[in-house]
Amino acid sequence: MITYIIRRMLLMIPTLLVISLLVFIIIELPPGDYIESYIAQLEAQGEQANPELLNFLRQQYGLEKPAYERYFGWVTGMVQGDFGFSFEYRMPVSEVIGDRLLLTILISIATIMFTWIIAFPIAIYSATHQYSWGDYGLTLLGLMGLATPNFLLALIMLYFANVVFGTSIGGLMDPEYLNQPWSVDKAVSVLEHLWVPVVVIGTAGTAGMIRKLRANLLDELGKHYVTAARAKGLPGYRLLVKYPLRVAINFMVGDIGHLLPSVISGAELVAIVLSLPTTGPILISALQSQDMYLAGSFLMFLSMLTVVGVLISDIALTFLDPRIRLDQGTER
Amino acid sequence: MKRLLPVWAALLIAAAPVAALWAPGTAVAAGAGVTFQETPSLAGRVAEGKLPPVEDRVPKVPSVVFMNAKDKTPGRHGGDMRLIMGKGRDVRLMTIYGYARLVAYTTDLKLVADILERFEVKDGREFTLTLRPGHKWSDGHPFTAEDFRYYWQDMATNKKLSPLGPRKKLLVGEELPEFKVIDKRTVRYTWSRPNSFFLAGMAGAAPFFIYRPAHYMKRFHARYSDTAELKKMAEKERLMDWSVLHQSKDRMYTLDNPEMPTLQPWMNTTKPPSQRFVFVRNPFFHRVDTAGRQLPYIDRVIMNISLRDLIPAKAGAGESDLQSRYIAFEDYTFLKESEKRYDQSVHLWRTVKGSHIAIYPNLNTKDPAWRKILRDVRFRRALSLAIDRNEINQVAYFGLARGGNNSIIEESPLFRPEYRTLWAGFDLARANRLLDEMGLDKKDGDGIRLLPDGRSAIITIDTSGEKTEITDILELIHDTWLKAGIKMLPRPAQRDIFRNRVFSGDSKMAVWSGLSNGIPTADMTPDEFVPTRQYQLQWPKWGKFMESNGQAGEPPDLLEAKQLLDLMSAWNNASGLSEQEEIWHRILKIHAEQVFSIGIINRTLQPVVVNNRLRNVPAEGFHNWNPGAYFGVYRPDTFWFAGKGKDRG
Amino acid sequence: MTTPNSPDATLQHFVSTEPFDPKVASKIAPELERYFLASQWKLMWWKLKWHRLAVFSGLFLLVLYGTTLISEFLAPYDTHTRDIGHIYAPPQSVHLFDDGEFIGPFVYGMDYKLNMVNLKREYTDNPNKIQRLRFFCQGDEYYFWGIITSRLHLVCPAEGGTLFLLGTDRLGRDVLSRIIYGSRISLTIGLVGITLSFFIGMIVGGIAGYFGGLIDTIIQRIIEIIQSFPQIPLWMALSAIMPLTWSPLVIYLAITIILAMLEWTSLARAVRSKLFSLREEEFCTAAKLMGAKPSRIIGRHLLPGFMSYLIAAATLSIPAMILGETALSFLGIGLRAPITSWGVLLNEAQNINIVVLYPWLMLPVVPVILTILAFSLFGDGLRDAADPYK
Repeated sequence: MITYIIRRMLLMIPTLLVISLLVFIIIELPPGDYIESYIAQLEAQGEQANPELLNFLRQQYGLEKPAYERYFGWVTGMVQGDFGFSFEYRMPVSEVIGDRLLLTILISIATIMFTWIIAFPIAIYSATHQYSWGDYGLTLLGLMGLATPNFLLALIMLYFANVVFGTSIGGLMDPEYLNQPWSVDKAVSVLEHLWVPVVVIGTAGTAGMIRKLRANLLDELGKHYVTAARAKGLPGYRLLVKYPLRVAINFMVGDIGHLLPSVISGAELVAIVLSLPTTGPILISALQSQDMYLAGSFLMFLSMLTVVGVLISDIALTFLDPRIRLDQGTER
Repeated sequence: MKRLLPVWAALLIAAAPVAALWAPGTAVAAGAGVTFQETPSLAGRVAEGKLPPVEDRVPKVPSVVFMNAKDKTPGRHGGDMRLIMGKGRDVRLMTIYGYARLVAYTTDLKLVADILERFEVKDGREFTLTLRPGHKWSDGHPFTAEDFRYYWQDMATNKKLSPLGPRKKLLVGEELPEFKVIDKRTVRYTWSRPNSFFLAGMAGAAPFFIYRPAHYMKRFHARYSDTAELKKMAEKERLMDWSVLHQSKDRMYTLDNPEMPTLQPWMNTTKPPSQRFVFVRNPFFHRVDTAGRQLPYIDRVIMNISLRDLIPAKAGAGESDLQSRYIAFEDYTFLKESEKRYDQSVHLWRTVKGSHIAIYPNLNTKDPAWRKILRDVRFRRALSLAIDRNEINQVAYFGLARGGNNSIIEESPLFRPEYRTLWAGFDLARANRLLDEMGLDKKDGDGIRLLPDGRSAIITIDTSGEKTEITDILELIHDTWLKAGIKMLPRPAQRDIFRNRVFSGDSKMAVWSGLSNGIPTADMTPDEFVPTRQYQLQWPKWGKFMESNGQAGEPPDLLEAKQLLDLMSAWNNASGLSEQEEIWHRILKIHAEQVFSIGIINRTLQPVVVNNRLRNVPAEGFHNWNPGAYFGVYRPDTFWFAGKGKDRG
Repeated sequence: MTTPNSPDATLQHFVSTEPFDPKVASKIAPELERYFLASQWKLMWWKLKWHRLAVFSGLFLLVLYGTTLISEFLAPYDTHTRDIGHIYAPPQSVHLFDDGEFIGPFVYGMDYKLNMVNLKREYTDNPNKIQRLRFFCQGDEYYFWGIITSRLHLVCPAEGGTLFLLGTDRLGRDVLSRIIYGSRISLTIGLVGITLSFFIGMIVGGIAGYFGGLIDTIIQRIIEIIQSFPQIPLWMALSAIMPLTWSPLVIYLAITIILAMLEWTSLARAVRSKLFSLREEEFCTAAKLMGAKPSRIIGRHLLPGFMSYLIAAATLSIPAMILGETALSFLGIGLRAPITSWGVLLNEAQNINIVVLYPWLMLPVVPVILTILAFSLFGDGLRDAADPYK
């Protein structure tokens, strides 16, 4: 048991290393560097860029050094908690990130919970009333949630929320709370804004979860022990709770591994559309202006979030399901 | 704390701006006995002794803003103005909107002393600048000639901070000015030849800042501060040495160092990064209104950063009190609907660029066959004649804009109708004739003309790909050019790639903004029409040559380009306004005949969303980067909230 | 033979004296015979037919893909045709009766007025301008499959009239025609991408599943790495790389490759897990003993066993591809004008002005939803039918 956990955690390290290498390569690929895109920005606004000053800056920020030196510098720095320097904001990356990572996690968790809360009862109903109109109807509804592109939905809901509820457009809270410490008002404001992104991101995952859960439940309900229990006179409801449900819960926890990456990346897209103070908007502008360390560190954070999340879900699963321990790992 | 305003003082104050207009560069003493009214939001701190009272905060000779012109009513203090911007770096817009400059433009584009009490120009080459007595920085420290000296001697000519010397525009040719401190409030810059950029540069939207808060910056300078201290400070911020530290603290323009004192009407109190920046009034601002109230009227400006695509939606939801940035003409209808639901109005201001977008044939393109063709004026004329500007106007601007050349517009006193219309009509027959005359009369199977070497005349046009407006206009142009036998392929690219392709000559043709100043006067420099900068996309290499003083690029080798350069130096050495005017007209005529850039449409309209309670914002105005500083020339420090100015964050 | 009532009949049994032919007795009903003799694919087909919804979806998809062959014929206009007199025109409805009189399908002509106060284009139906639709008529010219030019369209507007069944966009282009043309790109990207994914997934999964051990572990790690990478940010990063100087076709291919690169992992996983359970089976051992090479064992014996399952899984991945293309184009890093795809159309509709004032421009989302629904339902049906062990 413990060895399993330790083994998984150790395995995380090479995974993250490879990811960091990939991230670095991707960021380095476009020609030019931050200084050049900065010059382009200035000149496009009709402002003069002093090219000598910028070459000077280039030296200062170490952009002259060869790629591998920069990569090692970055990785070793990251391990020590120093994520590099953002050129765009002219301050350490960790300061730029600030609250944002926290909010990304918040949204991801809220979305996953939303998905569970919605998917669960629907899946149970579908499985127990298979092939009924309700089953078909709900499946269809779920699929539509899957099929609608997030970003369009986001914009429409944004407008709708503003017209009907007076919620301010975009963002995760009313602007006046942005730099304030947490308070009841601030929390309320966040809740008012949270439901739009959560619903938008969540609809896609919900459909997938409903279908998989339903399939799993149907499998379980078809098994012999269920028939035996029913024959023995166990009432329907207790029957459901005692065995198949627990299997279902196992499955849901285990599926976080699948759900988390898509939630996080879906959150990025929606964050861009809705201008949420999470990592999305900053990431895309960092990528476009080649703010190397900022973009790279963000990508690393997101990957790490995913890897860690998957690890947690796998470990939770081992607690819930003894069979996993005995196999060579989750079969997804 | 009101005292009666003596009549003679009131008359003097009333007469002040008239005098200012008559004798540019002079300011008027407000005289003794002017009644000042304390600013309510500062009254508390004054009572506690933390701030001096208002009469000691403003300079002894403040800049008095005349309030009884049309559109300007005297206002009251108070309120928060909300703005929405698209990125953190837009904080610098408060320097632009604030528009406190040594020398500033008025709304009719005359230069007057603003921060300066007065200035004197001798022979166009000797500039004596006099500061206002008692003028203080936003932290209360006096603003004196020392601040200019510090900039000049310890920054611009300091080998460590400026290894390559001061900004190019401060030089005339290669010559540095001679800088002299005359007394505590007066400094003088002298060149041996006239410097026509100096005053306009100081009044620009992104101006020369030839001064710094020396008392603040000295802390980060090796000459005045302990080296060991500096090293510690630099290391704490992970910077290499004191010079980088100094640079990182020096944020006069970008306003993102809240600790740095400023002379602008509002000062930043939020450290970046943030989604919300709060600017509070500068208690030592140098302008007052005629009733003795220290400006600005508005207590705070709140800048909310949002995703740029969402900004029209937010503006339409009443989330901004004054918005022009990031909203475009196509959003007008949607914004107008918001007038019913929110207490705001949507005005349309004019733009004054030479052309909203223009096409620049690259005369320095690498391909020799194309270079020869592009340099043939008949080709450029034909392309210009093959554009249906009327159709574009109808499709994109409801016919409310004006088609024409990339040249100056009616509001400029130099305007003549032929500058707009020459070679700018829609005449396919003539275009085809010109191309036939050039020898491009053979066509391929698709009806595209053939170049002398047999290739089809397919020209890729580079754009920076960001606005659908450009894509649409190019699609319309593509179709009409096809009828003249030229096929155009738009090719969007990221900005720096786009730039590099044009500069290197890989690109044959590019689409970009037209003239940035379509309303010049004869005393403004004609440098936009002359090869002076690499960023002039029709001749980037010649521009680079001139910019680098011959170190890079290529020397201009086209007769008309050389003529333009000669005219430019003639203008620099011109002895008077009439001579300058004459030179301007010769330059404009060359451009109209040579069609160096193909203009499409100008006088487009910019929507401006204004909260109905915000006064002194004109319903009609011009919206331009430079000159104009967007809202700057309209002096946002004179905007005020009527009704209940509530704090709305 | 003892009679039933004889005293020493301890065990009563009855044996018939009828003539007996074993072959006849063991004959089974013809339907049953077909069932037992049916190939795997036939079985799957029969099971599929039961699933009504899946069959319906399958037919829908067939029709949809069929239309991409004749898009030019079906669309009333060409994808680039502009009518600047009818910019942002709302959808026109087709009527059959005018004042109670049946005159065949027609639309009312539109009057145009520019509202000068809020600069809004206002279109009103003019009941006096009756524009009858023409069928099998001559309309915009097109180049059919690059071979022949033709001007034949299924339906066209009346001469000098308009037929904007779904309205127009900001350049006066017909939305319906653009959706029809866009279907070509959007639908085929999914197919091309999934084919790529499929092959990669099969090969990699096959190797991992068959050989196990170290190879399997390495491949598992690689899959895990790819799956941990947040997709959207990866796309964004890749878009920054893609030189925009490439021709649209090359970009199209690059995008399918990018999408395929991210989807093959789930397929590979499925292949691997199936192989694990199957490779211990006897037929596999027999083949090995007979000297078959691993590639032959995997290819000829193992894979066909669950090919149907794989196909079902692949079908279920297509929606992700389509959504991926839409998302990429929305981000501005996928296809862009002048290529027309549903993603490009939605990108152009991503605007508060459109949501509030010209909502018909968001209609391309409908075919996206329908296609994805169809693929999902069809894939569900396939999967249910394909599981040979139910």
